[in-house]
Amino acid sequence: MQKVVILIFICLVVFFIPDSGNADTKAGCLVCHNNMGGKIEYQGKVIDLNVDAEKFEKSVHGFLSCTDCHLGFKENPHLPPEGALSKELQPIMEKISIKAKADPTAMVACYNCHTQIYNDVLGSVHGKNIVDKKSTDGAFCLDCHGTAHYITKSTEKSSPVYQFNVVETCGTCHGSPELAKKYNIEAKVMKSYMESFHGKKHILGHKRAPTCVNCHGAHEVKSKDDPASPVFGKNKINTCGGCHKGANEKFVAAITHQEAGPIPHYAEKGLIILTISVIAFTVTHVLLEAYSDIRDTFFRKKKEVEHESSEEYTS
Amino acid sequence: MKAQKNTLLDETQEVERFNIIFRIQHVIMFTTFLLLAFTGWGLKYAEIDVSSWWIRIWGGPKTAGIIHRVAGVTMILDFIFHVVYIAYLLLTGKMKIRKETTVIPLPKDVKDVIHNFLYFIGLVKTKPKFGRFTYAQKFDYWAVFWGMFIIGLSGLCLAFPIQASYFVPEWATGWFWQLLAIMHSDEALLAIVFILFWHFYNEHLKPEVFPMSWVWLTGKISVKELKHKHPLEYEVMLKEQSGKES
Repeated sequence: MQKVVILIFICLVVFFIPDSGNADTKAGCLVCHNNMGGKIEYQGKVIDLNVDAEKFEKSVHGFLSCTDCHLGFKENPHLPPEGALSKELQPIMEKISIKAKADPTAMVACYNCHTQIYNDVLGSVHGKNIVDKKSTDGAFCLDCHGTAHYITKSTEKSSPVYQFNVVETCGTCHGSPELAKKYNIEAKVMKSYMESFHGKKHILGHKRAPTCVNCHGAHEVKSKDDPASPVFGKNKINTCGGCHKGANEKFVAAITHQEAGPIPHYAEKGLIILTISVIAFTVTHVLLEAYSDIRDTFFRKKKEVEHESSEEYTS
Repeated sequence: MKAQKNTLLDETQEVERFNIIFRIQHVIMFTTFLLLAFTGWGLKYAEIDVSSWWIRIWGGPKTAGIIHRVAGVTMILDFIFHVVYIAYLLLTGKMKIRKETTVIPLPKDVKDVIHNFLYFIGLVKTKPKFGRFTYAQKFDYWAVFWGMFIIGLSGLCLAFPIQASYFVPEWATGWFWQLLAIMHSDEALLAIVFILFWHFYNEHLKPEVFPMSWVWLTGKISVKELKHKHPLEYEVMLKEQSGKES
């Protein structure tokens, strides 16, 4: 009975909605999903049922129809996805389904358009962690690009991979000490970046200041111990040379995420002691002098005059 | 720098303390110092929200960076010119090193510090007798040398890192760059704080000079002030003059 009511409702709405190009199936889905709130639990995963149609239309994928990505949904209203994917996509889905928050078929759909990038990600240190180790730790498409239905261009401020958002986005995982410990990677990468000249300029809004991806790569990102990584050994010369023409081996040693060694560490301690002593001396001196100046002005006026006149023309 | 005849006996007269070349050096020095401090401060504390706003006032991070580099190089050139000029004055005999007039720190300066502190707290009734440069002024002067050595050198390396890398020995690359950044940033903070407390009090805020000592602009000091603040120099000048007259 309920289904029939929904069907009639959908038919009525579809009939009255002005035709907007591709919108046949999309409008059909959005009639319900645009207005649905709440979440359902399906196969152990909590699925958000709402899709904001207006926001979706504005997203970079707004021109697509729902079933372009939700490949398993064939009917309207629909049954759970059947997962009948092509021979090409089926094995990929099995590899990455552990990362799916809702519909795993929609996570493979990216492959249809972004084939090269998709393969890059699968071969990256992030992808390998998902495929080989069956871990949810590795970043996949949506971990960096944001909510599936509302992906915006990387040049837009709303995108998590926008130049001035991407550092924070990487930091959601790489700022975690637990993750660093688990994978034995540099723990204070965020801190050391923010304290570096690159990071400081980036914070101040310098458009040419490099972010994580400029040195480490994006989709194809590799472990720093992987010879294919742009920051592995001598590859750094090339990577740094992209901005610093003439970069050489001694120059590229300047940028690491490692903490300061003993020499800079103790030099800094020494300079801090020097600064504190100089400040202590000057402040004490200035305060005492100010005190004596006030004292002389108010209480020793006469004496000062006498003292001066007695000295006059003595030599 | 030499006083004209008889002026030294007349308290209302003025004598030249710094010639125009020294005054120009000083103007370049403090202009570049302020520019460097203003633009550098924003970078040092980039993580504070107000820094982004502050750097925008200076034309954004890129322009602020250019201002910082140009000011830095100008300051170093000013400094080099100063050293060369002093060497020229010494070699041609236009400037002589005398214990009453030299800017070189002497044991007397340490005595003066102690003496002055005793005066401040009221244990001694008279101020120490200073020469041409009080210990406070010597401190001010040599602080620039220290700053140039530490901040100037590290700044040059940071501004031209590729060129600097040719001079870095292989075994030092592991710590050299981090050391540079620390030196530049920490010592700059020291320089700013030092100028704020020391120089500003002594040359601006002190009741007797407020709002500032005008010697930086006119180069002149009244005989009365000279006798009062630099009695030992005054005595030397007086002797020199009477020696000429006889």
